[in-house]
Amino acid sequence: MANTACFIIVSRNDIPIYEAEVGSAMKKEEAAQQHQFILHAALDIVEDLAWTTSAMFLKAVDKFNDLVVSVYVTAGHILTTILLNPLYLPGSRITSSHFDTKVRALARKYL
Amino acid sequence: MDPLRSYLGRLLQEEITPVIMVLSTPLVEDACQKNGLNFIELLLPFSVFNKINVPVRTASDQPYRLQMFKLRLAYASDIHLQNYEAAEEHLKKVVLDASQKTLDDLISEPPQLENLLKNSESDLCPSWIETFNKELIRTLSFSEHETFDHPVACLLVVSSKDEQPINRFVDILNTNQLPSLLSDGVMDPKVLKHYLLLHDNQDGSPEKITSILAEMRNTYGSNCKLLCINSAQSANGNGKDIQWMPYGSHVLHNDDIACFLSTDDINAVRDFMLDLSSNYVIPHVEQKIRILNQQIRVLADYAFMLRDYELALSNYRLLSTDYKLDKAWKRYAGVQKIGSSSQRNASRCGLWWAEMLKARGQFKDAANIYFRISNEEPSLLAAVMLEQASYCYFLSSPPMLRKYGFHLVLAGNRYYMSDQRHHAIRAYRNALFVYKQNGWSYISDHVHYNVGRWYSFIGILDVAVKHMLEVLACSHQSLATQNMFLNDFFHIVQSMGKKFEVYKLRLPVINMASLKVLYEDFRTYASPSDVHVSESLWQSLEEELVPSASTGRSNWLDSQIKSSSKRNDESPVCVAGESVVVDLEFINPLQVSISVSEISLICELLAKSKEPDTGSASHTAPEEDSELKDSPSCRDSNSDGSSFTLSKLDVVLGGGETKRMQLEVSPKIEGLLKISGVRWTLSDIVVGYQYFEFDSKNKEKKGRRARRSLSHNLSFIVIKGLPKLDACIQHLPKKVFAGDLRLLLLELHNQSEFSVKNIKMKISHPRYLIPGNMEDLEMDFPECLEKQKSSRSKETPANVMLKFKNLLFSFPDDSTIQGGTNFTWPLWFHAGLCGRISLYISIYYEVASCSSDMKYRILRMHHDLEVLPSLDVSFQISPCASSLEEYFVRMDILNRTKSETFSLNQLSCVGNLWEILALPESLSIHPVQTLLAGQALSCFFKLKDCRKVINTEGELTWQGSDLLMISHGCKEAMTDVSRSPLAEFHQHERFHQGKSAKGDSSIVDFILISKMQGNGHVFEPGMQPNTSSRCPLSWQMNGPRMINHDFSSSFCEANFHLRIHSCSDAAVIIRLTTYDTLPEKNQSSDGVKLSDSAENEGGWHDISLVNDMKVLSSVHGNRPKKSSVDTLSPFVWCAMSSTKLKLEPLCTTEISLKICLFAAGTYDLSNYELHWEVKPLEEGIVGVTSSGTAHGHPFYLTVLHAPR
Repeated sequence: MANTACFIIVSRNDIPIYEAEVGSAMKKEEAAQQHQFILHAALDIVEDLAWTTSAMFLKAVDKFNDLVVSVYVTAGHILTTILLNPLYLPGSRITSSHFDTKVRALARKYL
Repeated sequence: MDPLRSYLGRLLQEEITPVIMVLSTPLVEDACQKNGLNFIELLLPFSVFNKINVPVRTASDQPYRLQMFKLRLAYASDIHLQNYEAAEEHLKKVVLDASQKTLDDLISEPPQLENLLKNSESDLCPSWIETFNKELIRTLSFSEHETFDHPVACLLVVSSKDEQPINRFVDILNTNQLPSLLSDGVMDPKVLKHYLLLHDNQDGSPEKITSILAEMRNTYGSNCKLLCINSAQSANGNGKDIQWMPYGSHVLHNDDIACFLSTDDINAVRDFMLDLSSNYVIPHVEQKIRILNQQIRVLADYAFMLRDYELALSNYRLLSTDYKLDKAWKRYAGVQKIGSSSQRNASRCGLWWAEMLKARGQFKDAANIYFRISNEEPSLLAAVMLEQASYCYFLSSPPMLRKYGFHLVLAGNRYYMSDQRHHAIRAYRNALFVYKQNGWSYISDHVHYNVGRWYSFIGILDVAVKHMLEVLACSHQSLATQNMFLNDFFHIVQSMGKKFEVYKLRLPVINMASLKVLYEDFRTYASPSDVHVSESLWQSLEEELVPSASTGRSNWLDSQIKSSSKRNDESPVCVAGESVVVDLEFINPLQVSISVSEISLICELLAKSKEPDTGSASHTAPEEDSELKDSPSCRDSNSDGSSFTLSKLDVVLGGGETKRMQLEVSPKIEGLLKISGVRWTLSDIVVGYQYFEFDSKNKEKKGRRARRSLSHNLSFIVIKGLPKLDACIQHLPKKVFAGDLRLLLLELHNQSEFSVKNIKMKISHPRYLIPGNMEDLEMDFPECLEKQKSSRSKETPANVMLKFKNLLFSFPDDSTIQGGTNFTWPLWFHAGLCGRISLYISIYYEVASCSSDMKYRILRMHHDLEVLPSLDVSFQISPCASSLEEYFVRMDILNRTKSETFSLNQLSCVGNLWEILALPESLSIHPVQTLLAGQALSCFFKLKDCRKVINTEGELTWQGSDLLMISHGCKEAMTDVSRSPLAEFHQHERFHQGKSAKGDSSIVDFILISKMQGNGHVFEPGMQPNTSSRCPLSWQMNGPRMINHDFSSSFCEANFHLRIHSCSDAAVIIRLTTYDTLPEKNQSSDGVKLSDSAENEGGWHDISLVNDMKVLSSVHGNRPKKSSVDTLSPFVWCAMSSTKLKLEPLCTTEISLKICLFAAGTYDLSNYELHWEVKPLEEGIVGVTSSGTAHGHPFYLTVLHAPR
């Protein structure tokens, strides 16, 4: 069972709009930047793959050593968060604390 | 495709070639050394054949022609595995050599995506990496795991000078010079042997040699050759243009090389090599292939050598399974105790594999291979592998830039770990464009921080600083990291040894949207906070003050346009010697506190005289752009700093703090002032500067936010110095209690040398603040309010009102303020109503000397204050039963303060129409003289209507409208409520209530004067005008109160008189209606409503007498209900049920009434109504016809049964 996870929502132009480091692992800055690097690099694979498959959930699309990247691609590459929050401006950062706590609560369930 | 064009092709051509083992005698080497070469080096240039064109037939029956070919030559002594450390050192040296060459690149700009895409594949990957790969492969030469490097032939060389050359051939074969691999049996011992006799032509004729050659042929067969060298007579041979030295031999090129080789010699060498390759080596390998068909590995390698790629590929599939089992390899290595060299073999294998994948365009797979190699190798090798992986990602289609960046960063990291800083920087900076300007904050911080740090290590500080700047605003990082970033940055800058100027330094963050410019043209402000009041509010206040808003403004604008017609009309105007303030927010995004010093504006002042030289504004525009690139220090040197002065501010911004700074510039001379930006010093180390940039969209936004429309470049027309007044109101409190009356002092100060005249003032809330008279200053407060012995002619309130009708106050005509002098004027302040209030004051003045562009200026002042509740005073007035001219007044006072104590001094009613008297019974008006916090008090007075007296007798018999409330012993002077300022405030209160100044004479206003204990402020919260009545009538029922009657004989009749008095100035038409049943109105609800309003309403309110009556009679309010249940009244009104009459002003009349009673009892004779209608005296007078209905007062009649 993985004891660390990083959850990032990325908008269409590659800009991370939401980030959450979850899990029981020690919170280190090293980890934060490493996770960003890995997830950022995985976008290359996702970009390739997203057009070849109709599946929205791409499980284990990329990996770096023992870290595995899975991606949920939304329809038309537009984020589902738009539906959640009609006031959301595409591309801007998600700052809702409510959303944040929800994400963390969900993560706790699976870690 | 030409195989030489791909790297793999070249690698194959050069590295996968047959090895010829060379065995030579010392004399052979001596002969060669005359040319500065050893024997192998002599042959080396001729071991490559670009078009050998030899037919080859391997395992298949189909022959093909071999074109490019190469032989590798190695001394037998070199044919052994390099030890691991030496190999590492060698590889490190290659990397290090390359790093020296990259130094120049590191100073240049990092590459961009567009440029990289334009470059060809070979330019992308630095050439030294190919070398590195080659050398890496070479370090593993002659291992037992593969046969690429196993010699396929053995070249035995003996000099003609050797004794017994035939035997020497055998000798050198038998010495234990032979490589261990060969003797161990790993290599094929039955290699092809080739015998060469080397003859030095300087040693004499070759006659003897031919005989030796013949003998050799007899002994060893046809594999014997003769090679003659050193034929050239002088030391200038023909071999100069041949590239003798391969990479890595590190022999200095000098003129001695090949000096004795003639053209014939060189041709002979070339022929020899060609012969050796085509006639001996290739056929030998062909033969071997056929023999070793079942030994796959050897077969594969040999096939490779002979370019049979089909065969090679099938064999590499086998190799790949080896590679996939690299864990097994490791185990195998452990058993064999040969350490990492087995891993290195796997790496080498992978390298080949990756090259092949690359050649087939499978870059992604190749990158994977490189990455996996990197996982198992020490950091330096891993770094090179990762870098190659990154290039593979870049070359894949479409380019996988993120992977490219990531692997470059990984590579850079490894480079750094193995002390290769130059390469580390190179790798990171190549990746920079991938991470440019996106939200991946941790990535960007990591890359910039490390690149910056590493640059500083290698001493390129300016570039280091540039990268460090990128990480400064790292609010997402932890406190420790922020500290580290900041300290490293300061350290680097400090080690540069000079003050560093940074454009757009990101610390602190400057909120450009917050930019506000405060400047004063004809509008000046007493304090900066006054500017935030909306302009429209000021304009509406100043409507009557300013000569005529439009013409006034156009006047000075016109003159301005004349003086500089080319200027943009919208350019705002400021005055020389007065400062323009830029209000800007500075934000510290970090948790660390930072000190920012010397914050100042960047300005430029174009003196007026210079304007013609520079031409129009549009002409200078392009210059501005170029100027913007300059640092402020350059610009400072350009313009002399004497034309304006700048304020310099220092501030410490705590973690996450935002501070608003007011930056000032004051121009000294006329001209055009441009405010272009702001500069500051961070921690006394770094100077940051930023120019104000406005795109058109922003400008719109700004226009709304800032008060004025700003021209985009913040330029101001500076006009000649003007007088300017400063003002302050002394003693104006922030918090006062309601009703507080104070004397304030308006102090105007003229700083300039010119005098100003024609001063006018307008105050937004005259209810709170009015100008006083000069005499007020001569007396002490509050004594000036007291009644004077010598009674001056009183100003009537109407006059006062007239004076302030337009709320505009002109100071006396002769009041001019000379330059440098002060001017004071008294102001009266009265806190009228509870709550927050903003007072706005505009002072208009004209410039005495009219030479200026500006004729007048306005000084604006703004004060916010809070009025706290103090005393709640309410009055209830009820008519006196005994007299029509007298009323009872009940005054309820509640002290609503938290801690203050008030003493009540005086109650006055305004005007001379009413007289207030203490009730005769009470000696002192109330038992206590002070009212503590929270205390409530009720007291009663008698109010007398004096109007009739005046009218009838024509002179004042009136005793006074003031009543001293404190005890007799105290000699407290009476306060004169009819004098200024009380009279004025009273008028404003009335005005506020919407009552006309003339007022209804039936209205009485009370003023209660109290003092707050502890300080001497005069309070007059009781200045509460309360109307006695809206009804113009007062009436009284006269008649018997008690009747004895014998009801057995008849019913009882009783006569009454209703005396009606008109309080109105106009004629009143009265209609009296009687009812036998009481008209039941919703009395109770009226009563509730009244009591509510009485509680809640502070300040001014009306109380109608009628309603009062209801409240007071609410006790018996229920009584009529009973009677209505009976439906039959116990008495009836007799005679007329309705009477109508007209009552002249202030007259009294009587109406006779009669009732019939049928039973003994007590009756309330209030079931009548008076309808009244006031007719105006003449038409056209203000009073509108008013009418109303009044219910009867209670009148109790007791009838006793008295039988006779």
